[in-house]
Amino acid sequence: MKSPSPTLHQFISQKRLSRRRAWFYSTVLLLTSIATWFMADLLWRNDKINGIEWVLLVLFVILFAQIAVGFVTAMLGLYVINRGGDRQCITRTVDWDHEDVPLASTAIVMPVFNEDVSRVFEGLRVIYRSLQETKKNEHFDFFILSDSNKPNQWIQEEIAWVELCKQVNGFGRIFYRKRRHQINKKSGNVADFLRRWGKRYRYMLVLDADSIMTGEAIVKLVAMMEKNPQAGLIQTAPRLAYGESLYARMQQFANRLYSPIFLAGLNYWQQQDGNYWGHNAIIRVQPFIDHCALPDLPGTEPFGGRILSHDFVEAALMRKAGWQVWLAHDIEGTYEEGPPTLIDSAKRDRRWCQGNLQHAWLIAARGFRPANRFHLLMGVMAYVSCPLWLLFLVFSTIHVFNQVLSPVTGAVAFETYTRVFGHILEIPEAFILFIFTMLLLFLPKIISVVTVMQKSSDAAKFGGRGALVLSALMEIICSGLLAPVHMMFNSKFVLSILLGQGVSWVTQRRGAEDGTDWREAIITHGGQALFGLVWGVSSFILLPAFFWWLSPVLAGLVLSIPVSIILSKNSLGQRARKLGVFLTPEETQPPHELSRLTQNLVECYKHMRPIEVLRNDYGLLQAVLDPYVNAVHVAMLRQRRPSEESRDWFVTLRQRLLSEGPAQLTTKEKLALLLDAESMILLHEELWKQPSSALAEWWRLAIRQYNVLTLTPTTALYR
Amino acid sequence: MDSIDQPLSTFRPLTGTMEAWNAAYVRVEDYLRAHRIHNRLHQSRLIQAVLERAAQRHAENPVLDPTTLAAEAVEEMMDQWFADVLGIKDREHQRIAIDGRVAMLLCDGPQQWPYAFLDRSNIPADFATTMLASSIKAGPDMTVSSMVPRDIDLGTITEAAGETLERMEKWPLLRMVLLWALFLGALLGIFFVTR
Repeated sequence: MKSPSPTLHQFISQKRLSRRRAWFYSTVLLLTSIATWFMADLLWRNDKINGIEWVLLVLFVILFAQIAVGFVTAMLGLYVINRGGDRQCITRTVDWDHEDVPLASTAIVMPVFNEDVSRVFEGLRVIYRSLQETKKNEHFDFFILSDSNKPNQWIQEEIAWVELCKQVNGFGRIFYRKRRHQINKKSGNVADFLRRWGKRYRYMLVLDADSIMTGEAIVKLVAMMEKNPQAGLIQTAPRLAYGESLYARMQQFANRLYSPIFLAGLNYWQQQDGNYWGHNAIIRVQPFIDHCALPDLPGTEPFGGRILSHDFVEAALMRKAGWQVWLAHDIEGTYEEGPPTLIDSAKRDRRWCQGNLQHAWLIAARGFRPANRFHLLMGVMAYVSCPLWLLFLVFSTIHVFNQVLSPVTGAVAFETYTRVFGHILEIPEAFILFIFTMLLLFLPKIISVVTVMQKSSDAAKFGGRGALVLSALMEIICSGLLAPVHMMFNSKFVLSILLGQGVSWVTQRRGAEDGTDWREAIITHGGQALFGLVWGVSSFILLPAFFWWLSPVLAGLVLSIPVSIILSKNSLGQRARKLGVFLTPEETQPPHELSRLTQNLVECYKHMRPIEVLRNDYGLLQAVLDPYVNAVHVAMLRQRRPSEESRDWFVTLRQRLLSEGPAQLTTKEKLALLLDAESMILLHEELWKQPSSALAEWWRLAIRQYNVLTLTPTTALYR
Repeated sequence: MDSIDQPLSTFRPLTGTMEAWNAAYVRVEDYLRAHRIHNRLHQSRLIQAVLERAAQRHAENPVLDPTTLAAEAVEEMMDQWFADVLGIKDREHQRIAIDGRVAMLLCDGPQQWPYAFLDRSNIPADFATTMLASSIKAGPDMTVSSMVPRDIDLGTITEAAGETLERMEKWPLLRMVLLWALFLGALLGIFFVTR
């Protein structure tokens, strides 16, 4: 990171920023206009304009503008990087080599919801240790904010929290809060924290359950906040890490290689009007409390109701209140994990899709900054563009169908030549438009590869020049195959949300090797493959030339089942890693924190799991049977006096649990017992007092097995 | 509390079957193991002390199950012992047990002081100090603040759209008619465009 210039706190003037934005939007407009001209010429060359051609042109303009936004952002990023970085950047407001900015009280909050407990607490351990190594950890408190609603998860989290605190001497520094009622999901969880403890802290650093941040990065974020009193939020650009499957490794390779130019470009034009991505960001607490409590949207879910994707809206509200929102894109030491399979990625998209579509309500909201409106619009378009692409392709097919059947033009409608400055060239005009589009799509990727290849040390971080080119080529091919699959998925999501319906998913059956099994893949992608097949055959019958134009889209759809399965394999991911494909700098030269986490997790997963019969209710088992777990659990519950009616109900539940076993109780009933301190105390006493004959077979087995095979109870942490 | 150092041979329950006392023995052993008391010698001494106490009660009331009596005996012994170590005699039984076990867990009592558990005559000073210092706190003291959602002015058009939507949600019949009208309109549009 370079030292700051003398004009540190004088961020860019409004005039200069307007000039930058004028460049950005004008270039987008220019590129879209050129492409539109090509398209219009192509559509209207042989005949008068008809309805379908109008529809095609409008769709094309919308979709191409979106491509152009990405391209121009990347080109601006390239410009910035070539100039040695942007001086107008939040990270340059502190002279890191000579300045030691005093820090302020900061809460590091990690909302969790039924996550892998080992991963959550080992991640926290790594962050805590890393912060200790900075010797500035006295400013930081950690909060695990649990919304987990599975009995096992809850108890495991409590045990893991106690163990972690014991091991790192973190009592009074690392806190655990389980919400009784999970209202408003993650944003409600964070808001609940702010209502209880927000006033104690000047800043909060929001993490995801899979986030990792180095102590140095965290300290830097607080220092930047302290140095810039107008900054309300600083978002970092987390890098994807820990990908095991081929899909996850490919995603993290692409993220690591291509994102720097996009992020630099984004910061170039958005400056203090940045966005919030929900995690790995630091927030000034008081303005957030004052301005970012979210109201409900008109109507009910899925389109209205409570705001699901809260982050974009919170950034817009912060800006509306006059606080700056920055993207610290060049700060190192911030990581997250990506989804392991294509289907997991689609499930995540399903959630994000609903959240982003809701933002349509807010695009025209009064008082929002134009940049925030643009972010909201881009969020909506990220999903709406998919059905628009599908519509565009379907209308193109209909258009071809019309032309083939037309007695006037027939198959001749497809131009086999084009004119450039009056010269007739023997190439189809559509090909030029195709090349132009491809250029906009792939040039940023090619530039990223070339930029990295310029320095052999940079290329070595990706496995060397050869491996880098091979990986990039494979990534381009795979992402080309995946694009139509995403298009189909997102089209389905948008449609289902607009119709107010949910999307059902197949329960995965994991085999010996993790990954998508054939059953899941066939049920999930079967419709897509069939659609591609029917579309392909009919377009080939219609006009073979058109079929070849469509073939990249069709290939992705038809091959979606095997592609999804292959990409989900961890074994193939490992093999690719050995071969040097899809390597990232975080793998070739792993930061200390990531290596430590990998090591710790390997240790965790080595330990024996509870026997099959007890596994499903092991958390409840521990909370009732283990004297220490029971005591910790009860100590953490708020004491409440239940009504006489509910007392009777709890008596019945306790009797049923002990005499019939937990399988006879619903999850809701188990959670109710776990929430009632009196019941938990009595269950523990009664379990140990009752003769074996009065207990269910399950409990008899639990008592005999518990602690026999392992000295310590099965928790996430063993050291 | 009974001494835990009596010779093993002295224990002879006067009432109850051998089978029932064996079951009680196993239950106490399991319970101690659940407390991470893995030292066999210490475990045996404790079990005998517990069973002695249970046997006396069983002699007074043979209808009761030895397992239940043994579990009650061990709870009592633990309550007295925790109350002594932590100096919290005035609290109700359940709170003493909870606080005591939490303190034991946090100070790694069974691992660090394997012979100390339930031994009243010989409580190591460092163990007692560590037990007293151990406490659990899930969160810092609360400093409650108000975070109230404020309405966002969505703009005239969006507000009107929102109101229409909410009205439509209240009148499902109207919503159905409109959806069908939209669907038929789209079909007609496609028909005219493609014919």
